[in-house]
Amino acid sequence: MLAVLLSVVDRPVREFQSDKVKETRALKLILLDIDATGRRNFDPVGLSRPLFELRCGMTSLAEKLIARTKATDVACFIPEYMAGVYRTETQWPVNDPGALGADDLLLVNARVKADSFDIETAGPGEVGLGEDGGVQYVRVGADDLGRIQGEDITSWIDNAREVLPSVHANLPTWDYAWDLMLANPDELTADFNALGRSGIEGSVEQPNAIRGSDKDVFVAPGAVVHPMVVFDAADGPIYIDENAEIHPFTRIEGPCYVGAGSILLGAKCREGNYIGPLCRIGGELEESIIQGHSNKYHDGFLGHAYVGEWVNLGAQTSNSDLKNDYSTVSAILDGRRPLDTGSPKVGALIGDHTKTSIGTLMNTGSVVGAMALIMATGEPLPKFIPSFAWFLKGVTTKGFGKKKLYETARMAMSRRGKEFTGAHEAMFDAVFELTSEPRDEAIKKGRKQMAARQHS
Amino acid sequence: MATVEDRVKAVTGRTLNIDPGEIQAEHSFTFDLGAESVQSVELVAMFEEEFGIEMDEDAALSVETVGSACEFIARVCAEQGVAVDLE
Repeated sequence: MLAVLLSVVDRPVREFQSDKVKETRALKLILLDIDATGRRNFDPVGLSRPLFELRCGMTSLAEKLIARTKATDVACFIPEYMAGVYRTETQWPVNDPGALGADDLLLVNARVKADSFDIETAGPGEVGLGEDGGVQYVRVGADDLGRIQGEDITSWIDNAREVLPSVHANLPTWDYAWDLMLANPDELTADFNALGRSGIEGSVEQPNAIRGSDKDVFVAPGAVVHPMVVFDAADGPIYIDENAEIHPFTRIEGPCYVGAGSILLGAKCREGNYIGPLCRIGGELEESIIQGHSNKYHDGFLGHAYVGEWVNLGAQTSNSDLKNDYSTVSAILDGRRPLDTGSPKVGALIGDHTKTSIGTLMNTGSVVGAMALIMATGEPLPKFIPSFAWFLKGVTTKGFGKKKLYETARMAMSRRGKEFTGAHEAMFDAVFELTSEPRDEAIKKGRKQMAARQHS
Repeated sequence: MATVEDRVKAVTGRTLNIDPGEIQAEHSFTFDLGAESVQSVELVAMFEEEFGIEMDEDAALSVETVGSACEFIARVCAEQGVAVDLE
């Protein structure tokens, strides 16, 4: 997270051109992730992080909004259950009412698409509403501050709606996790172009091949590219970040970003991938986002997927991302109601700390919750696996419970020099409660399936 | 109605493919009956299904013998208001 924060400062990120955006005055941006219902559309990857920490292209949603608004200071309001962990990962004030007390403020719903945020950041107080009537932004001048009261961020915004004039802004928003994955290739290219870096600053051992223009490849200092690696930048740029290591026989198609310290092991890296920091990636990967610290070490296909952190995908774990009839893919986020994604290409959404066994097969539009453990049977998984589920012998069980999962999480993080703290445990305890209903239903169903098998 | 012990032995036999008549109260699920880790999970699930109860997985999986399982299940049934025959 610190690296992400520094990147906001050190990198140009996206230099958005807009004659409406002012650069000269101090502006405090308040990122809002307080819609408890709407944010569940980003399950399972949004369960254990603020939505503005989700990635699209080379940058997070927060970085995009900061760059767009040219904010000089940032604070945020997020679900309280994850605040303890997030405070250890950011230098921004988190859920601090004091952040509302000074300067020109711009509060923005983290789901607003930065590219479409063409609102004057300075000006008279104003509340911008979306099509659903929800608050998309609140602009507050220093003169307005004394007029707005509230015991917490929700009541403060409610009061702002009463005090300030409202406008129907109807700004485009990110509505589901798959929106990010589908926009990822274009955002990768845009972010690469905005950064304006190209060339080889790391070590590239010969022979290697760059297809396309050298200008569309950047190998950062400390990165090591072994012999027999192909960079195909003909259709998009490739950014290899610091201390990444690309092993022989890896082929990378652009657009692609490989995060700091990540290792690609003979990977067939098709176009449109964001691979976060400290991942281990082998096999075939296409148009996917891997948040970071996750392993897909071995062969197997992952396409149009969004994978959280600390995930381990066993050898030959694969997902389908296209139905045989080419129709649009549905996904089940709540364990009950299929949602049409509107896209014919959606793979798997996989929450933090989930592990799959060798040979796991995931259906098109699969949703696998956080802290789940999958033991494959050779059959495709059900399209929805709840968080904290132990999927054994083809059914969802309680397994060995969450304590055992926490032990594994503690071990996995320590192997990368990170600590699974009491704050993490408290956050995942809250995730456990949030996700209990579909899990309990799946466990009951699993017991009946197991019993029926025994009696047959 | 069959006793708790009869029902525990029946479930154990079905799950581990053992003749229930050969299962003794002092048998360890792991060492004597050969239950592997996944089968332990399956046993817990099947006991819950058989008795209509919910068991804490940590507590349930810490039970080592058939006799201890009978006592544990009888206690959980009592706590959750499920009527069972003890003898």
